[in-house]
Amino acid sequence: MAQDTAHVGAGPATKRPEVVRAKESPVVDPEQVIRAITAIDGGPRVLKLYMEMCARCGTCASQCPVYYGKAEKKYNPVERSDLIRDIYKKHCTTTGKLLGALVGARDYRDGELEAWAEHFYTCTGCRRCATYCPMGIDNSVIARKGRAILEAAGMTPDTMQKVVRISLETGNTDGASPEAFKAAIEFLEEEMKEEHGVDIKIPVDVVGADYFYVPPSGDVLVNPEATTGVAKVFYALGLQDRWTMSSHYFDGANYGLFTGNDADMKADNKPYVEEAKRLGCKVLFMGECGHAYRIMKMMMEPARWWGDLPFTIMNCMEFTAEQIKAGKLQFDKSKNPQPVTYHDPCNFGRSCDIVEEPRIILKASCQDFREMYPNRGENWCCGGGGGLSAMDDIHEFRMTVSGVKKMEQVRATGAKYVAAACSNCKRQLAQLMEYYKEDIAVGGVHDMLSRSILINGKAAKRVDYT
Amino acid sequence: MDAFALLVGGILPYLTVVVFLVGMGYRFRAWFKAPQPGKMTLFPAPDSTAGGVLAETLFFPSLFKGDKVLWSFAWIFHATLALVFLGHIRVFTGLVDRILMAVGMSADNIGVMSATAGGVAGVVLLGTGLLLLIRRLTIQRVREISRVPDFFALLLLIAIIGTGDLMRFGPHFDLEQTRVWARSLLAFSPDVPRNGLFLVHALFAMLLIIYVPFSKILHFGGIFFTQTLVKRS
Repeated sequence: MAQDTAHVGAGPATKRPEVVRAKESPVVDPEQVIRAITAIDGGPRVLKLYMEMCARCGTCASQCPVYYGKAEKKYNPVERSDLIRDIYKKHCTTTGKLLGALVGARDYRDGELEAWAEHFYTCTGCRRCATYCPMGIDNSVIARKGRAILEAAGMTPDTMQKVVRISLETGNTDGASPEAFKAAIEFLEEEMKEEHGVDIKIPVDVVGADYFYVPPSGDVLVNPEATTGVAKVFYALGLQDRWTMSSHYFDGANYGLFTGNDADMKADNKPYVEEAKRLGCKVLFMGECGHAYRIMKMMMEPARWWGDLPFTIMNCMEFTAEQIKAGKLQFDKSKNPQPVTYHDPCNFGRSCDIVEEPRIILKASCQDFREMYPNRGENWCCGGGGGLSAMDDIHEFRMTVSGVKKMEQVRATGAKYVAAACSNCKRQLAQLMEYYKEDIAVGGVHDMLSRSILINGKAAKRVDYT
Repeated sequence: MDAFALLVGGILPYLTVVVFLVGMGYRFRAWFKAPQPGKMTLFPAPDSTAGGVLAETLFFPSLFKGDKVLWSFAWIFHATLALVFLGHIRVFTGLVDRILMAVGMSADNIGVMSATAGGVAGVVLLGTGLLLLIRRLTIQRVREISRVPDFFALLLLIAIIGTGDLMRFGPHFDLEQTRVWARSLLAFSPDVPRNGLFLVHALFAMLLIIYVPFSKILHFGGIFFTQTLVKRS
């Protein structure tokens, strides 16, 4: 059954309430919106180019999971990006100033932010459009700008805002206390003891450990097999004293990326870098969470948010894949006989090039690995990207529009287990399986490894994972 | 006619050069100046950024993967346009002919070669230009985002191509006239050809060039900037 993973995700562990957008509409200053848009004239370069460069050829729409699900004008990526682009034209381009509506330029219309909240939260930020755009235009960057404007006006959808707030308050998007975390870890250690008959530790708060493991919190609290998988890898390599988790910082998820609030994104990121320094680790060892890894590897590090780093940044799948290639890990594939496929999370595939590693792990630990097509950098979004997966108020949209293509892709593989190295993808996928009544399980990559890796020559005793 | 000829052949060329150079310089400078923190790389990324951008510029591989029908229209259109652009060097200078004659081609042969290549190119350009227009009108996802400037750019191009084809396939037009014109422009004492069709063709062409820095047609320069961001290795 797929339902056991249905509540994976970055939201609170308790049942989510029905979410409606801001109860009373905040007063929006039109000048503030216009200022935010005209500021693009001075950069970042990427956004400025995207305002001025679109040839309007329609290729993005043919590659967009949302437009594929429903070919409506409002879901056309160009149409969505025009919400900002047209106002930019009006204020920042010669033709826009001179010719106005004739070239599509227009001013901000009072009250239209209400509609923006819907439009910019129906882009999954998957960047697939950019892969196929002849100009290399990434509509997700424009959508994020739109979300930033909504955020500044206090109009970020409640669900998203809440996740950010909880994360900034507690250090994790589930709002779990260090005690709850430690209890969960103890439970996992007991589970592994039952499975293998030996003590496989998950070290916590160990100063001086080489590897500081930062998964998404869902991989500890809700769907923890990925974390037991990582623990078993370290154990099998004789490195179980060389790694650690933090009882305060165990969630790489960072919704500042999704709300477009750079200050929140950095505020959420900083404690993790501080904790890595405090623990004195050599490697910040990121778990199966695409956007967490992307923020660390493609944003924080190259843009030097916190200056020089005394550690390197690595993903757990890179590490495990290397060990498998070196022949240091053994498996009993018969523990995973069912057909298994891999869904490339957009943030891992298109944005970070982590594509072969999960396949190496799955092929080593499963009997029947199948590709879905297209894959890797060309893979279709699950339909829950850009944080949408956490938004229950758009569940219907995610099932019947943005997730349609993914469902077709998964069905075509005949797989009975979809692995995805991303809590948000897993939540969306599990909900899709439930919605379309497909008997297909959803989980992570190290989950499959956890079930088949040999510890002292034997795989885990547990066989029924449904 | 004389005032029109003077305007199109004597004044507009200078205006065109100034507006285009200043306009493009202004746009390029603004793009260079805009800061870009963080990496936007899309994977799989090419081994070298320059190689990736060059491939994108010459062969449109992203578009090829995304929309093969549009790719065939667009690539043939742009490649032919580039050829025709090169072919127009002959319009303005006799140098090419002299080089070809120096390597043994006769004037007749050059004429035949030019007529054949130019003729085919002219027809192909007109055909693909019309296909792009038809595509814009008939495919829903393109039609719904098409606006006045999109049609204006295409129609202007088609008008230039059409008048060019009329000159190519119509009564003989002696290129000596335009070569004299080009030399006279450089000497700042314009000697304008008195050929109505030519003047209309030149007028449209110069309007297009003036329009480039202010329109989406500047994608032929901007593509280097945007593709560099996503192809960064």
